[in-house]
Amino acid sequence: MTLKTIFTVGAFAAGLTATAALAEYPERPINMIIPYGAGGATDISARTIAEPLGTAVGKPLVMANVTGAGGATGSVAVQNASPDGYTMLFARVGSHSVSPAMKATLPYTLDDFRFVTVYEINPVACAVNPSSGIESMEDLVAKVKEGGVTYSSSGVGSLLHLAGAMVLREFGIEDPLEAATHIPLKGGGAAATAVLNGTATFICTNSSALASFVANEQLNPILVTTAEPVPGFDAPTSADVGKPQLEQLVGWTGIAGPAGLPDDVAAKWGEWMATATKDEDFLTKMTERGSVIELMSPEEANEFIETQYNTFRKLVDELGMRVEG
Amino acid sequence: MSFIDSLLAGLALVGNIEAFLALGAGVAIGVIGGAIPGMSATMAVALTLPFTFAMQPITGILLLLGVYKGGIFGGSIPAILIKTPGTPASSATILDGYPMAERGEAGRALGMALWASCTADLISNLALIVFAGWLASFALNFGPPEFFTLILFSLTIIAGVSGDSLLRGALSAVLGLLLATIGLDLVYGTNRFTFGSPDMMGGLNFIAVLIGLFAIPEILAMAWNPTAHLGKTRSLGNKWVTFADYRRCFRSIVRGSMIGVFLGSIPGIGAAPSAFLSYSEARRKSKNKANFGKGEVEGVAASEAGNNGVAGATLIPLLALGVPGDVITAIIIGAFMVHGLQPGPMMFVLNVDIIYGLFIGLIVSSIFLFFIGTAAIRGFKYVADIPKRLLIPSVLVLCIYGVFAVNNNIFDVGVMFAMGWVGYFMMRYHIPAAPFLIAFILGPLLEDNFRQSMLMSGNDWMVLFRGPITWFFWTVTIITVVAIIRAGYRAARNIGANRLKG
Repeated sequence: MTLKTIFTVGAFAAGLTATAALAEYPERPINMIIPYGAGGATDISARTIAEPLGTAVGKPLVMANVTGAGGATGSVAVQNASPDGYTMLFARVGSHSVSPAMKATLPYTLDDFRFVTVYEINPVACAVNPSSGIESMEDLVAKVKEGGVTYSSSGVGSLLHLAGAMVLREFGIEDPLEAATHIPLKGGGAAATAVLNGTATFICTNSSALASFVANEQLNPILVTTAEPVPGFDAPTSADVGKPQLEQLVGWTGIAGPAGLPDDVAAKWGEWMATATKDEDFLTKMTERGSVIELMSPEEANEFIETQYNTFRKLVDELGMRVEG
Repeated sequence: MSFIDSLLAGLALVGNIEAFLALGAGVAIGVIGGAIPGMSATMAVALTLPFTFAMQPITGILLLLGVYKGGIFGGSIPAILIKTPGTPASSATILDGYPMAERGEAGRALGMALWASCTADLISNLALIVFAGWLASFALNFGPPEFFTLILFSLTIIAGVSGDSLLRGALSAVLGLLLATIGLDLVYGTNRFTFGSPDMMGGLNFIAVLIGLFAIPEILAMAWNPTAHLGKTRSLGNKWVTFADYRRCFRSIVRGSMIGVFLGSIPGIGAAPSAFLSYSEARRKSKNKANFGKGEVEGVAASEAGNNGVAGATLIPLLALGVPGDVITAIIIGAFMVHGLQPGPMMFVLNVDIIYGLFIGLIVSSIFLFFIGTAAIRGFKYVADIPKRLLIPSVLVLCIYGVFAVNNNIFDVGVMFAMGWVGYFMMRYHIPAAPFLIAFILGPLLEDNFRQSMLMSGNDWMVLFRGPITWFFWTVTIITVVAIIRAGYRAARNIGANRLKG
């Protein structure tokens, strides 16, 4: 074989690879990283959408839970991945709007990611123990002014942490961090139990996490933050109390890639998600768990998260909640 | 509806071939999943969950419960055979199970593990059925101050698993406590000892530490001195557990089951501390105290009773309050919700047929566990016959794969090897690894609950003495500590007396 042939073959092979790179995305399985543990809200949501989504994509989706540090470990894995659309992240309100707003030490910012969709919205509800004698937000606010009120969360930098402070502030408590004590617990289940056994006075969290307690009359809902009422929750909405700002306070799940994700890849995801979220089976399963399916295009998703982040960031700065060092 | 009616309704629900098939398949999946290091019962349940969505609610839930119960037992198989706990809950089983396997009694250890597991499982299920309501309301009395005192008491286990030297045990525990502080601060969310690495922010992965501490030192020792084991018997032999063994350990098994039921019904403790507590209580009460840690069959029985005793009882807070007691039940609660069932007091009114169906299924699951477990032991026992020079490299591969699979994170594999060296040096200097592990599990719980207590009371120390439960645990803690000091003092005096005589 002469040198020339080798070069020719080499060039030909290089040409083939180049064509392959230009070929239709995706040409191999896509790694989907879930930054939270198996069985959690994000995990169940991700695995439920994965079914119809896999059909729409036409290539297998490889689901992997990379957990730790409130979703940061998994998020960093995607932040550092190459933006070719083969490593994507199931992003969640905690990891991608509350944590960036609250934690100066977080190894990533929103700019490190490009969102391709937000597909699930979880209304937030506030609830108290029925034996506490608190029956409305007014009662709670009165109690806060007396002092000794506590609220539970699933940890520093979680949606629950911010939600408690934000709701109290909206209801006229100037300095909610001083007026009420935040008790961080390990995980959402423990946070709800804390209100159940009287360790904390109230909790504000995703309605799906409270649904069974409310249905069993173990907890009493006093507010939902959406404008629309939440089925099963007999409590005033943010529209009823005239505080539209609270509508920003919702949980969500979306899909993001690293910052440099090409436009055509993002557009592909937009199409796939449009198909996947129409799936009957997916819709029933998600709505039964108390989620609202609301599909956002890549542009809408980025704008939605940006707005929520800015709202939270403003509140965090005003209250001095930012975690440094 | 009367009790008989409910029972019949439940029977009608589970009295079909699918329900039993699901239960049997679940136990089998669990035993195998639990037996693969790093896979763990949690992961096995999580992986089975999506398959249950399309099933009848009761069938799906029974499948998951089968996986859970099988997994907790399955973890003891590698713990005994290759010193690598398949699930965190089986780490206490290593203490006596592995020395037994080294002595050529793997079959006896595995058999005892199975018998103890099945007995504890049955007791736990019965406790669930009979005392669910009462235990649940008791568990709800556990706030941070009660937890704090309970964990303070549990830390006295360290004395029980320290071996010959309490000082070495304490050193090991301090090391465990120190490493447990890595990660994010609970109250302020600030970084502690993370050295700017995002991988460290989540703290050291528990399974990586566990496998690193127990399995890797064996591998390092083998690499250091490849022929050290030659001449030792390590075959399974014909030695199988006898009824006499079972009868001798029965008290420890029942005690372990009770401890399991108690700790299982309180959300947030889990099976690993229960196994250790059961083990140290069995050691304290046993006539063969000196033999514990050197291959005592009662130690295996107590640990396995302790962890399987939790399995039925974790369903108490789940069904009676709707509160998941540990990670596994948190996944199972997801299965309930997908089917539109909401666990909690109302479920005993609205879906009483499902509750009773579950009860019947659970009782049957203990029997399934017995038969499937026996079959699994027959299958896995050949591992004990594999020559060590072939076995150890395969264990290494299995450990690396298993630790990576927990979190899909290569950093965890690094943690495992680092902990392996720590464990190796601890082994060489006769520092026991079990206190390290207990401190690593309980340390963060102690700290978190202390700080939560202080937050909820506005820094008032009196909250730590707020009710009968806290008083109870303070009292038993003081009694135990005094007993440990007295025993240590006596041992020192005996040595002194012997020296005088000699």
